[in-house]
Amino acid sequence: MSQADQPLRLRVASPADAADRAVLVRLADGELDALEELYDRYKTMAYSIAYRITNDTTLAEDVVQEAFLGAWRNAARYVEGRGSVKTWLLAIVHHRAIDAVRRRRPTTELPDVELPPPAALTEPDVWTEVAAVLDGELVRAALAELSDVQREAIEMAYFGGLTQQEIADRTTTPLGTVKSRMRLGLLAMRRHLEAGST
Amino acid sequence: MNGRDDVTPLTCDDVREMSAAYVLGALEPAEEAAVRAHLADCEDAHEEIAVVGGVVPALAETVPLVEPPAALKGRILAAAAADLEERTRASTRSPSTGSLAAEDLNRAAEPRPFPTADERVARRPRSSTGTWLLRIAAVVALVALGGWNLLLQSQLNAAEAYEQSVAAVLDVAAQQGSLTAILTPDDGTGSGLAAVGADGKVTLAMHDLAPTSGSTVYTTWAIGGDGVPVALGDFTVGAGGTASFTAASSPVTAGTVLALTREPSGGLTAPTGPVVSKGVATAPA
Repeated sequence: MSQADQPLRLRVASPADAADRAVLVRLADGELDALEELYDRYKTMAYSIAYRITNDTTLAEDVVQEAFLGAWRNAARYVEGRGSVKTWLLAIVHHRAIDAVRRRRPTTELPDVELPPPAALTEPDVWTEVAAVLDGELVRAALAELSDVQREAIEMAYFGGLTQQEIADRTTTPLGTVKSRMRLGLLAMRRHLEAGST
Repeated sequence: MNGRDDVTPLTCDDVREMSAAYVLGALEPAEEAAVRAHLADCEDAHEEIAVVGGVVPALAETVPLVEPPAALKGRILAAAAADLEERTRASTRSPSTGSLAAEDLNRAAEPRPFPTADERVARRPRSSTGTWLLRIAAVVALVALGGWNLLLQSQLNAAEAYEQSVAAVLDVAAQQGSLTAILTPDDGTGSGLAAVGADGKVTLAMHDLAPTSGSTVYTTWAIGGDGVPVALGDFTVGAGGTASFTAASSPVTAGTVLALTREPSGGLTAPTGPVVSKGVATAPA
């Protein structure tokens, strides 16, 4: 395994992480004011992600409501050490937004509507995020460093809710090439982020 | 490929190749299930998943910031408050859960006679207004504590909406040949009244239901002597927790159980969610 492929360095817990975890403990105890606190802290990020993906204010509101209620009901299932509360919460928002746009797209092959959403949409994985207090400018710079096709593939997946096959179809690119572009693009971003955070 | 396909076993190389799509959420549901199944059993730690996955949270930092509408906070807090109330009530009831499906629905509530016309007149203001006055008083206290003006407005609107729904049910109940039912919560909150006209039209008024969101709906079922639930239709519930529902025609006869379940999406032909509330259709005394 090359240096670039080593697992990410553990993110150093910030005071905000500790405060978030304290809020989550209260959330798990059913304290409504803890939910209000969490909402006030992350409402803008949550809504911005939902709106960026859905491009629909009503749908974005539904997504954010579902995500915060999901956090409210599942706070006890948050696993400390597998990422920050912020990452956990925003991953829920992202999964629900992707689910919403896929259900809205008539041509998309959807999960069976008679079944509940896949577990991944309600219990997203949480990965240890890159070892930096990231800001938008740094990440946008890292994204800009990618080749156009790598950036396009990642953005179509993450913000467009397209599957790898749909990306291959839309870009008339072999599926294997799409997989490589996404993987190499994410690895390149990681290198840029780690370089930028040191 | 869809969510119902059997999960195809993957090799470690397959999973490595799909790692980026997996962490970006760009797999079909069945593909994603296959990756999860592989990771659950594989001796290889598949660190490549963590390597590429660690970058994904950073992508969220690139979105242009947009403020949500101010009313959204009130809706979320109201929904959570309703959820908390449901949990509290459930914890004070017997440990039996409202598990789903027809057998539970068939364990029908004992038939309860619908109130006579006099009883209806006497009961309506006492039960509904009294309950809502208590709730409004509680909300006023919350406003004093936390300034939840939106919640107060929501409760007042809900009280009015429920009164109107009940009035519609009573209109049908007053018709010749109608059936009526009192729906009581199976394990939690959600109670109301239903009336079935001689033409089979069902009118339902419910309150204290947990709000729905996304594709979630409440589905109304009629369960006759054959024990097979027949879907009458779906409805959603706002933050106020009240609902008014009408089905154009139904197979409801005396003794038919009317039941509500909470479902992940509408249009189902068989219940999958827990029974929320149910009652038996009877001829008025």
